[in-house]
Amino acid sequence: MKRLMTALAATTCLTAPALADDDKIIVGFATAETGFMQAYDKPAQDAAMIRIAEINASGGLLGKQIEVVNADTKTDRAEGAKAGLTVIDAGADMVVVSCDYDFGSPAALAAESAGLPSFFLCAESIKAGIQGVGPNSFSASVLAAVQGATMAEWSYTKKEARTFYRLLDTWTEYNKGICDGFDYMLPKLADATLVGEDTFLNEDASIAAQITRIKALPEEPDAIMLCTMMPGAVSAIKQIRAAGINSMILNGSGVDGSYWLSAVPDLSNFFVPVQGSIYGDDPNPDVTAFNAKYKEVTGGDPSTQYVYPGYVMIDVWAKAVERAGTTETTAVVAELEKMNAEPTLFGPRTFTSELHHQNQARYLIVETNAGKPGVVDEWTISEPIPVADLMK
Amino acid sequence: MGSLLQVLFDALSLGSLYALGALGIALIFGVMRLVNFAHGDVIAACVFALLWPSVDAVAIIFAGNLPWYLLIPFLLAIGAALSVASEIVVFRRFRRANPATMMIASFALGFVIRYFLLMLFSSRPKSISLLPSLSQPVEILGARIPLLQLITIAVTMAVLFGLTTFLRRTRFGLEMRAAAENFTMARMLGVRANRVIMGAFALSGALAAAIALILGSQTGTANIMMGASVMLMAFIATVIGGMGSLAGAVLAGFLLGAIATVMQVILPPDARAFRDAFVYGAVILVLIFRPQGLLSARGTKERV
Repeated sequence: MKRLMTALAATTCLTAPALADDDKIIVGFATAETGFMQAYDKPAQDAAMIRIAEINASGGLLGKQIEVVNADTKTDRAEGAKAGLTVIDAGADMVVVSCDYDFGSPAALAAESAGLPSFFLCAESIKAGIQGVGPNSFSASVLAAVQGATMAEWSYTKKEARTFYRLLDTWTEYNKGICDGFDYMLPKLADATLVGEDTFLNEDASIAAQITRIKALPEEPDAIMLCTMMPGAVSAIKQIRAAGINSMILNGSGVDGSYWLSAVPDLSNFFVPVQGSIYGDDPNPDVTAFNAKYKEVTGGDPSTQYVYPGYVMIDVWAKAVERAGTTETTAVVAELEKMNAEPTLFGPRTFTSELHHQNQARYLIVETNAGKPGVVDEWTISEPIPVADLMK
Repeated sequence: MGSLLQVLFDALSLGSLYALGALGIALIFGVMRLVNFAHGDVIAACVFALLWPSVDAVAIIFAGNLPWYLLIPFLLAIGAALSVASEIVVFRRFRRANPATMMIASFALGFVIRYFLLMLFSSRPKSISLLPSLSQPVEILGARIPLLQLITIAVTMAVLFGLTTFLRRTRFGLEMRAAAENFTMARMLGVRANRVIMGAFALSGALAAAIALILGSQTGTANIMMGASVMLMAFIATVIGGMGSLAGAVLAGFLLGAIATVMQVILPPDARAFRDAFVYGAVILVLIFRPQGLLSARGTKERV
């Protein structure tokens, strides 16, 4: 942690007056250092810093060292736009913005109008990219819809789930995205049926009425597709199990992590898609090595898989810069758009001129059994979700 | 039959939560015409009292590890103490201020509590396992009811019964009712204002702690915003119950719980996302036909 802070402090001081400097490349982080988004931005940013340090240690990018400038969005949209301008004024060649579309887009739009490429740290809405910002905007994560589709297809194929129940928390676009992906996939699975659906609100103190509806079914469904996120997810899962419903529970990546499992002791039959495993059992030993490095730098283990997109982001961008031989926006974006199943530590990544996001991705499936999460399988949806379906 | 019973229990348990919240607000409104918007933040503070301050993702359980017979009195005492402290530090200075000023002060106090929690615990929701033995289903007449629901309903009934006895049978209760009816007159007749007001705050704080216990064990989550939604419903319950009427607040709390549950059951899937709009629609209807609330307190009526 200390080392990272020193590195950050050093680079920040050095680059303050740097405009269009020729002997270094500057990455600007317009992210939340304070406010609730900080809990999401900080871990991914730490991972990005690890990749930057690796590149610098192996001779830099195009022979230049990568330096970092920071500006705090304070988890505020207006401050976000200002933070974007601040890092652009400090000479950023690429702008990294807050994890979430709503909080990251003001800075991304500032980068777009300055003609610079921008990356959302871990946004999972299709709007975080061409569709919501412009042709130079990318997201480092995978679309929420892919998570819902992955869980539907995987549980159908590997767990022989045939009856599904869909429980949507209408709070955020992310939640709706998961269920949209599930809705896209379900009709493609022969004789899989949706036996019921319901909605709730993340802040609902009780979802007893929703649970009663599940229990009123003639038979317990094979799987419940739960499209929700923290903190309401814990409450929903706890109440579903407390009511004696033992169906498989399928989720998006938003509920990854073991930090909340104490709230539902001995949770079983619970499945989450993740880009990489924080539990030390990733099939790729390099991921486990990365986790160790992350711990060394930040002083703690990754608490969720949302650390990883930060690393992927710098990785793919640096590759594109290397191939383009310049940090010039058009060339870098063109190289990024040529990436087709580009291997990264956390699965292949594809960008096209139509979509700067992943509409198909390899996911590891983490099962929680008797309160212990671990990787049990991996799955890539059989075909990418068409952009038209994502725009619904 | 089983599912009807289940709906009934769902409505009663949600209603209990709202009724307890409404009671906490109505008690204070009764004695000093203060709508205490900090009540929700007192609820959140009580949940966080179970944890050791830290900004890590994993919560460090502190008081939450106590056995239940110590945990419950501990939390009730914390709630009461926090509430009484807010009276002594803040509201006492607004005793003669008009209700709008007091309301603003209560908002400010709520923010102070919330940001204090933010500072100690960060905005990241924490997970806690509170009274895990309550997270089991029990079978009653063909319906499988979570044990916690039954306990919530039972506790609420016990609190209501205890409070009624307290208000009707004890001298302190009599003073409190007198103060709620006509505060100036009660003081003239020898009721000690500070004692009654502090009593009301202590009771209200303990009720907040009871909600914290129920919410904490139901959701397994501590979140600095967690009191807000219950507070909003509870406030609405005190309004439609008739400001200052304790019985009205409880009745309206159960009514709101019932409406919310029934709406969730009968609305078609596409409209369910707008359930709360229908609930508030029902509230507006009640207020159109009974603007003074379901049971209006005598003290609050305009006298010409």
